[in-house]
Amino acid sequence: MADHNNTETNIHRNEALQRKLAFKEERKHHNVSFIMMILLTLVAFYAIWSDKVADSFAVLFILVLAVVQVFFQLYIWMHLSHKGHDFPLWGMFSGILIAAITVVGIAGMIWTS
Amino acid sequence: MDAGQRLTDANFPEHPEKATLEGKNKFLGFWLFLGGETVLFATLFGTYLGLRHMNMDGPSTEELFKLPTVFLATMLLLTSSLTSVYAVLALKQNRVRTLQKWFIITLILGLGFLGLEVYEFMEYVHEGHTFTSSAFGSAFYTLVGFHGGHVAFGCLWIITLLIRNWNRGITLVNAPKYYLFALYWHFVDVVWVFIFTVVYLMGKVG
Repeated sequence: MADHNNTETNIHRNEALQRKLAFKEERKHHNVSFIMMILLTLVAFYAIWSDKVADSFAVLFILVLAVVQVFFQLYIWMHLSHKGHDFPLWGMFSGILIAAITVVGIAGMIWTS
Repeated sequence: MDAGQRLTDANFPEHPEKATLEGKNKFLGFWLFLGGETVLFATLFGTYLGLRHMNMDGPSTEELFKLPTVFLATMLLLTSSLTSVYAVLALKQNRVRTLQKWFIITLILGLGFLGLEVYEFMEYVHEGHTFTSSAFGSAFYTLVGFHGGHVAFGCLWIITLLIRNWNRGITLVNAPKYYLFALYWHFVDVVWVFIFTVVYLMGKVG
């Protein structure tokens, strides 16, 4: 009986340890993505500030950096990569699709008029 | 179990924000809302992109924008996004005091961002760039101001949430609320990433 209880506490302790390690891992991911986002921001500001990059290329370049940064936010900080996010992914990506069409459409309409 | 009861480490579910039907519904509904918000901001971005060179007699984007202020504001908002994800990590570990600490830091950083934006807008008005001075002015203040409004709303939201639940611990009722606030805050930061890129940085290269 005593033996049985002992294994149970051991299992419980083991689970708690597993969870703790998982949280530690998650925290590390958050820190890494924070550093990545800081770097992306710095590169974007530097590309414009330094005036060393040709303007037309710089615009494309900083837009790509922004898109990369948004994926860090969505997948790591907003947990879209976790299980059980199928419907949120659908909602968000249909939103992004319509948003892209909207930006191009409205800006294009004003530009051509 | 009563959903309003303080959770203990022994009965703490793996996903407290989705442990009840109400929590699940809020979670899905909020993501759909964020999809809609994306489109809403897209309309403002599209308008701004179309009108940003129509500054009439007022200053142009290149003359107007000061990158150091924008950089500082970006850093404040980015850091506040990190602190709110720390709060969510504390939520999953049933550490309510840690959660409150990180959300308060998030709030302070958010208020700092708002302060900088108010200062920036006052400078612009001083230089003759107002809501009614040109099409560029209207589009600029609508887009950036709407984002600032989102930050202000987020600050009010987290203040209310913290005060209301200060002594309650984490329950199945308030866990989804904390979680959704963090999602909202990240989304506001996502929008800012595009504002500093499309409005400020692209404004510097014409």
